[in-house]
Amino acid sequence: MRDAPSSLANSLFLRTARSAASKTLPPFVALVVFLLTWEIGVRWLGVAAYLLPPPSAILSAAKRDAINLLMGAWTTAKTALFGFALSGVLGVLAAVILSSARVIERAFYPYTVFLQTVPIVAIAPILAVWFGPGFLAVSVCAFIVSVFPVIANTVTGLRSVDPALKDLFRLYGASRWASLVKLTLPSALPNIVTGLRIAGGLSVIGTLVGELFAGFSEGAPGLGIVVQTAAKQLKTDLLFAAVFSATFLGLLLFGVVNAVGSRVLGRWHPSEKLDQSEIES
Amino acid sequence: MNRRTFVYTTAVFGLAALAGCGNSQSGSGSGSGDGKAKVKLALNWVPEPEFGGFYAAREDGSFAKHNLDVEILPGGAGVPVVQMVAGGQADFGISGADEILTARARGANVVGVFAIYQRAPLAIMARGDRIQSMADVFASGTVALEPGLAYSLFLKKKYGFDKVKIVPYDGGVARFLAENDYAQQCFVTSEPIAVKKKGASPKVFLVADEGFNPYQGVVIVSQATWQSKAELVKRFVLASREGWQKYLDDPSKANGVMAKLNTAMDAETFAEAAKAQKDLISTAETAQKGLGAMTKDRWETIAKQLVELGVVEKAPNVDEAFAVL
Repeated sequence: MRDAPSSLANSLFLRTARSAASKTLPPFVALVVFLLTWEIGVRWLGVAAYLLPPPSAILSAAKRDAINLLMGAWTTAKTALFGFALSGVLGVLAAVILSSARVIERAFYPYTVFLQTVPIVAIAPILAVWFGPGFLAVSVCAFIVSVFPVIANTVTGLRSVDPALKDLFRLYGASRWASLVKLTLPSALPNIVTGLRIAGGLSVIGTLVGELFAGFSEGAPGLGIVVQTAAKQLKTDLLFAAVFSATFLGLLLFGVVNAVGSRVLGRWHPSEKLDQSEIES
Repeated sequence: MNRRTFVYTTAVFGLAALAGCGNSQSGSGSGSGDGKAKVKLALNWVPEPEFGGFYAAREDGSFAKHNLDVEILPGGAGVPVVQMVAGGQADFGISGADEILTARARGANVVGVFAIYQRAPLAIMARGDRIQSMADVFASGTVALEPGLAYSLFLKKKYGFDKVKIVPYDGGVARFLAENDYAQQCFVTSEPIAVKKKGASPKVFLVADEGFNPYQGVVIVSQATWQSKAELVKRFVLASREGWQKYLDDPSKANGVMAKLNTAMDAETFAEAAKAQKDLISTAETAQKGLGAMTKDRWETIAKQLVELGVVEKAPNVDEAFAVL
């Protein structure tokens, strides 16, 4: 009897560890298999390194140009993060305004779709004229590319509040503000998190494209410029290293949004409770 | 050719796609029904006067006379010509001496066989009274240059970029027209004519006059093609030379054909560009040796410069990089 709690804790720990392993092991194995196939395939087929370098060559290029890549990643990360923050704040705000009255939503919602279809390659040079090249112009590129999914998902979330709860709030004479803060926004949270997840990756893409047209190429040039320089000089290994650095930034942002999302939602929302039940079963 | 730069923004993404099919061959030199060899020529930009001689050779029958059936593949944003030619997706392509040597240093073995531009049309254009020379361009203000470009590295080494703001070249001329202290890279046959039409009076400085003068508009073939089908390559060069001579004499017919393919450029601009490039193509040297001539001296100079600029680690062997036909 005395050792019951400790054995319970033990088995709980084991289960958690097992569940963690079952989550991280498959993607890790998939990655290793993928990289090995790539390395062996490229060598075996004799693919020229300027077309597709093997992972080992990319790694040594990354080591050789580590400072360039790190500084580039830092510049790109700052810019993408700012664009992402703009998307999060302005996107949710826009969605709240849009869904505040049917007539506003009908009038303006269709036009937010424009944001998704803006050809960023064409607009980036103009942004550079308006804002001057550099941080701000590139952040705005990231914002334009990433804001639409935030608006669209948030609007959906705000619309799908439980009608019974709405009635309850009305019955108790809750103010518009109170129902927004205590009912509508919280129940839209899962959708907002979904929108932000998509926006995270997109903001990195928007930054890279923006840098090509509206960034600085001296000082600490972002990953977009590193990619362009590498392409111009046919350093395909460095090009891939820069692409992977950018991908990693996107993943990092996605991971942060996920972690924050499950922390905020974890306690009460069914979409995050699934994991809990996995552990318990 | 503005926007050759654009090429690299998209080339980056195109490259990955291309990587998978590096070994496919484009039936190079395979015979067509009428006994002519079918070959593909990949341009590195849209049909413009800088490719005029090839269209002239096609329209006036020079290619046909040399038993060639040439399909001209217009380029544009995202066409990695060197990789296409080295990988066999096109038999012939258009590149520059600096790009050819860089490609060879990375293992993409292409050979230059005909150089349209004896003097590189690469230039910087600027505006304002302050600017009297290339040195003034880099004394203050903003300069738009494509990152990684060999000649921008050359200018950086010569003048230093510490007094100016360097921004990526965006392929257009909007900022040049909107701002006063703004200079940008250009092709003498392209952007200066475009901004003049908008009422600006640009000052244009050739990079060639500064000491960096790689052959441009160079016809390339893969090493494999050069070794196995030298006769075919020779016919192509002879036909191109005839076509270019015709184009220099009278560009109107080929311009008419290209204008249909490139509707963004009007007839007047075609005519002006053809005129502006004449002196870069036809020189004292080509009067002696024929259009498209190349010398080992100049290839060696470029090779040396590329090493000095840090684009390549080791000077490639120039004897293998070009062939005089």
